[in-house]
Amino acid sequence: MAVLIVLGLATGLAGAIGVRQRIDLINGATARNGELTVAAQRLYRALSDADATAASAFLAGGVEPAAMRERYQVDIAAAAAALSIVSGGRAGGEQGDAAVAKIAAQLPVYTGLVETARVYNRQGVPIGGAYLREASGLMRSSLLPAAQSLYEAVSEELDDARDNAGAFPWFAIFLGVVTIVALIVVQRYLTRRTNRVFNVGLLAATGAAVVLVIWLAVSAVLAAGRLDASRDEGSAQVARLAGARIAALQARADEAHTLVARGNGAAFEKDYVEVMPRVTELLALDGADATTQAAAQAATAEAAKWLEAHKDLRALDDGGQYANAVTAAIGTEPTSTASIFNKLDEQLAGAIEHNGERFEREVDRAAGALTAADIGVGLLAVLLIVGAALGLQRRLAEYR
Amino acid sequence: MRRPIVVALVAAMFLAGCTTAESLPEGRVDGSAPRPVDARDPADIPTQAGAPAGSCDPRASLRPSGALPGAGRMPAGSTMAQIVKRGRLVVGVDQNNYRFGYRDPKTGNLVGFEIDLAYEIAEAIFGDRNKVQFRTVTTAEREKAIQGGTVDMVIRSMTMNCDRWQRVAFSTEYFSAGQAILVAKGSKITALKDLAGQKVCAATGSTSIRNIAAKAPQALPVSGADALDCLVMLQQNQVAAVSTDDAILAGFAAQDPSTVVLPERFTEEPYGMAMKKESTDLVRFVNGVLEGLRADGTWTRLYNKWLSALGSTPQPPAARYQD
Repeated sequence: MAVLIVLGLATGLAGAIGVRQRIDLINGATARNGELTVAAQRLYRALSDADATAASAFLAGGVEPAAMRERYQVDIAAAAAALSIVSGGRAGGEQGDAAVAKIAAQLPVYTGLVETARVYNRQGVPIGGAYLREASGLMRSSLLPAAQSLYEAVSEELDDARDNAGAFPWFAIFLGVVTIVALIVVQRYLTRRTNRVFNVGLLAATGAAVVLVIWLAVSAVLAAGRLDASRDEGSAQVARLAGARIAALQARADEAHTLVARGNGAAFEKDYVEVMPRVTELLALDGADATTQAAAQAATAEAAKWLEAHKDLRALDDGGQYANAVTAAIGTEPTSTASIFNKLDEQLAGAIEHNGERFEREVDRAAGALTAADIGVGLLAVLLIVGAALGLQRRLAEYR
Repeated sequence: MRRPIVVALVAAMFLAGCTTAESLPEGRVDGSAPRPVDARDPADIPTQAGAPAGSCDPRASLRPSGALPGAGRMPAGSTMAQIVKRGRLVVGVDQNNYRFGYRDPKTGNLVGFEIDLAYEIAEAIFGDRNKVQFRTVTTAEREKAIQGGTVDMVIRSMTMNCDRWQRVAFSTEYFSAGQAILVAKGSKITALKDLAGQKVCAATGSTSIRNIAAKAPQALPVSGADALDCLVMLQQNQVAAVSTDDAILAGFAAQDPSTVVLPERFTEEPYGMAMKKESTDLVRFVNGVLEGLRADGTWTRLYNKWLSALGSTPQPPAARYQD
């Protein structure tokens, strides 16, 4: 008869601990990995923007405009901050560790090269341009790929954490069902032996076991649904939007580098032509809410405008009007590709923030579906054990 | 009855406390200096020249045919007439060669001796020196740009030699350079013979890289997409010396006073403007323009404007013709 007690105890423990672990996974791993994914994406964006801004500042000639210098500095600070968050989170496993170590080692090297370029530019000698090219090469061949690899590793971890948190508690439910069956068997046995139809204690225990199993199952399904929503309506949209934003940034850097290379930048222009369709492709969102759709449409419209303006810009450069092409690329008037790109970037930034909030909301709701389930399952298990113990105690006493 | 409970409790506690201490990452990364884009260490040495030195007179170009046509009135059907029709002369130049062809970081404009020569050619064709479009080309891409027609001519410290004469046509010589060596001040390298076992840098596809392999076979050649990348690598201790034309090296020394050009000059590198082999009319026209620049003192004026730091002003290189 001790078997019943042990079964009840095991069910209660497995259920309560399982629920507790899933709450921890949701609050901890899922929510935390969500934030880390955002940080990894911010890191990539900041690095890529630094590259594009440094190239634009070089194009501006002379002492670069204060606004561009500030933007570059903000990018570097943002990259360092995001890197410290991701590295503190120890996210992404070995792949993540390797990427973090690489970025941490090379970011200061990159900024050193950019500053060297800046000093030489101020002296009016061309070697500054050579340093800028070396810096940009380091960024594009090493830092950005590392940041990309980090982002992939961290988002993979988010998916894993979410899968674990949303896993159906098969073991606890199996134990619960076994307990119910055992309780029924015992009661039938007792009924036959004692001719008493009901044993209040055992009946209460059975009821508790049934409620426990149903609660476990329902809460798990609800939580899993919320977690799915956090992906479909939150992080999946963020991933697409972030992808579009990064592609746009790359195109922006390409555009600037084409002009920096001055007739020798066919590779950059080719990259621009390849990257731009990806922006609009990624902005064709499925399952996004109205706010996001509106932002995506506005961004797509800006991307189309940019393509047009870029075509004009290239025509200017190819037609020998280099200075006008530079103005079209980095000028502050609303028709310049710089202004169009900034508008596009703002739309995407807003949409990313909006969907990040939705992600957090759904994760909170997933945790909410499980709230009290751990305590409830624990209490039910106690009720189950006490009921079974009392019910059996009475019978055992009668035998004495 | 107690034992199973204890076992279950212990098991549960074990399951709940599944957080073992994580090991820290190794954090080992390569700390060497970054390499300029497309730099090669060791360098690819271009295969032996198709036409060896001495199989021709590399300085001899095509003689101008009669008087120069007036600006804007190019003979019908000529290459120059096509350029006039297009509205601009497209010239392949350097944006990294201090004082020859470089981007002035303060204005963003291309300036220098070779840039001014391009303005003079545009002046002769159009009567408007500004009808010129500059396209930067790397050392290795110069011939391709000419043959592919992306530029009308290349004025970019390009050595006239018999090998290149096979594929492009040169104008008469507009500058006489020679290969030398640049090192950091205080370096143990004092001459060509000291390069053995040392990394020496020059631009990919340049005559310099071939000369290093030929004249200092013990040296370890490294190449940069642009000669200026070699100065970057010298400053970053990735190479021990740079060996290319003295005119380019003088520009390096002017940008970095911690470097010095060694006095030894071990090759002759006559610079010519390169054009399509078939465009003989354009070559003759450009040679006519160069005759004028030499005769009317423009060449000397431009030399003094940009290159006085190279030493006292020499006579313009004399024109030599194939006939």
